[in-house]
Amino acid sequence: MDMPNKPSIQFPNKSPFAIDVQNLTVGYGSNVLMQNLNFSVNYGEIFVILGGSGCGKSSLLKNLFGLYQPLAGDVLIEGQNITSAVGAQRQKIMTSFGVMYQQGALFGSMNLLDNVTLFMQEYTQLTQTQMDLLARCKLDLVGLLPYESYMPSEISGGMQKRAAIARAMALDPKILFLDEPSAGLDPITSADLDSTIQDLSKNLGITFVIVSHELASIYAIADKVIMLDKDAKGIIAEGDPKVLRDTSKDPRVHQFFNRIMSKDAA
Amino acid sequence: MSTSDTISAVSAASDAPVAVWSQIDANNAKVLLNGNVNVYSLGGVWTQIRDSQDAWLKQGDSKSKSLTFDASKVTFLDGAGIAFLIGLEEAQTTSGAKFDVLGLDARYEPLLNEFNPISNLFPVPVVKPKRSFVVSTGMAAQNLIDDAVGLISFTGHLVADLAWSIRYPNQVRWGDFVNAAVQAGIAALPIVGLVAFLIGVILSFQAAIGMQQFGAVSFVGPLAALGIVREMGPLITAILLAGRSSAAFAAEIGTMTVNSEVDALVSGGLSPIRFLVVPRVLAGILVAPILTLFADIVSIFSSMLTMLIYGIPFVNFYNGMLSAVDIEDIGSGLIKATLFGVVVSAVGCLRGMQTGNGAAAVGISATRAVVSSIVLIVVVDGIFAFISYKTGF
Repeated sequence: MDMPNKPSIQFPNKSPFAIDVQNLTVGYGSNVLMQNLNFSVNYGEIFVILGGSGCGKSSLLKNLFGLYQPLAGDVLIEGQNITSAVGAQRQKIMTSFGVMYQQGALFGSMNLLDNVTLFMQEYTQLTQTQMDLLARCKLDLVGLLPYESYMPSEISGGMQKRAAIARAMALDPKILFLDEPSAGLDPITSADLDSTIQDLSKNLGITFVIVSHELASIYAIADKVIMLDKDAKGIIAEGDPKVLRDTSKDPRVHQFFNRIMSKDAA
Repeated sequence: MSTSDTISAVSAASDAPVAVWSQIDANNAKVLLNGNVNVYSLGGVWTQIRDSQDAWLKQGDSKSKSLTFDASKVTFLDGAGIAFLIGLEEAQTTSGAKFDVLGLDARYEPLLNEFNPISNLFPVPVVKPKRSFVVSTGMAAQNLIDDAVGLISFTGHLVADLAWSIRYPNQVRWGDFVNAAVQAGIAALPIVGLVAFLIGVILSFQAAIGMQQFGAVSFVGPLAALGIVREMGPLITAILLAGRSSAAFAAEIGTMTVNSEVDALVSGGLSPIRFLVVPRVLAGILVAPILTLFADIVSIFSSMLTMLIYGIPFVNFYNGMLSAVDIEDIGSGLIKATLFGVVVSAVGCLRGMQTGNGAAAVGISATRAVVSSIVLIVVVDGIFAFISYKTGF
């Protein structure tokens, strides 16, 4: 997808890629999910990871942001290797990105505003009033401003997801990892969310790494996608989703993008 | 590593203040932004500028004042920078003063427009009315009544479903029963053994110190054995079961409630009591008397060892014990233990099913399970003591 409006934003840490994945092997113990992955994500790009259920998309995402240790290989975030980083260096890398988990993972004992301000309290020197204003801005971006004093258990699953995106954006990270952000949202909210993601990417140069199945959303926002396959244990397609849909010769990719049932494909 | 290290690490890039307040004349002031304005670099600066702005707005007529937000030297502005702008604008507009933005890159405008009107971001704080004493007392009473009604209703269902399990034993989930029995029973053996051993030692020592003054050390054995078999054994076991298994049942069923698993049983036409509670209560009925018998044996053995110190040989202790403790005493203790087992496991399951929403609710349920179990253990023990006194059993 051609993005002529993308500004070139200067970041203090100069590295050619926002995320650079080198020979990454993802798995648990002897169970290898993905082997020898190599790809990179540019600054300000909306990068989508695709693949069938259970192929290891979420596991790959957790390896990218350092929650799980990969079986082999390295992940460089803005040129810094998160796989081998320890202590202060690791924590510094960790504050440069935000994560939204699949189920929201909001802290149940705090209301939405407190969920968003939590990381600010730990990492910034802002006052409570300033943090509250900042958190309200984030909640407004995801359409949850009227719900700031609600507890996570008092709102719907879709709202919890949106609140989790607001929390991931709390420290205005340069990279956001979103695990299935629009799954379970109504089409209007989902479109609003897509538009917010595009605005943030275009105007603030935020890099997005998104795991998603929602084809409509992928066509609307993705600059680049990679498609993973369980049997191939690796990337089977890479590029612009619309181009892949129209031109890919790989039956697995064609089937995915054109929503063809597995028995019809066979 | 401390948090302050991280803060200094992440904000080290910006030494010069990212925003500077300057007052041009009495009615005009400017905030000049510089460089990378982000959530870290604004720390402290934001407060200083807001303080200067407030002091300036208070001097003279605020309606004739104008503040310029000069963003022409900004290299990067994040969401915090935009919130900072909004904070300054709100302070200006609420006091009727003017606010202008100068040199802000057009790319930030869509984001800024997302927050229009900014008054939404400054809600009027709602003060919750305080409840009067009468209302809060009434609500507390209502909660107590609801709790009692819940307990009675649950007991009714449980008795009905236990009767059903006797009638249709093939339909009981015996796999769950075995798991619960292993967790509550076999896994509890070490802790029950340790506590029972120490209680036996303590009880015998305390008794021996007193009895020694009257030259009646030889009566300590029968006394301790009777106390252990009738009272201490069942009580220790029940309290340990309350702490271990009642809390575990509450947490397990509570998590299932939070995850809508209990709802899935109900909507599938299955009774959660029959499915979840009956196997656990049956496990409680089985393991409580067995654990109690184990605790009795360990306690009496430790009491025997203790009395060796006072020169009472095993044989004398044993003969003394036989003269004081008969099979009825052991039976009475074990019946009581069985009742405790029912109470502890049922209360754990009940509290689990009453769990609200979220992780905190599971913790509350586990706590309530232990507290309610211990209270009910004492109540049942009291009732049992009264019945024993009246009937001589």
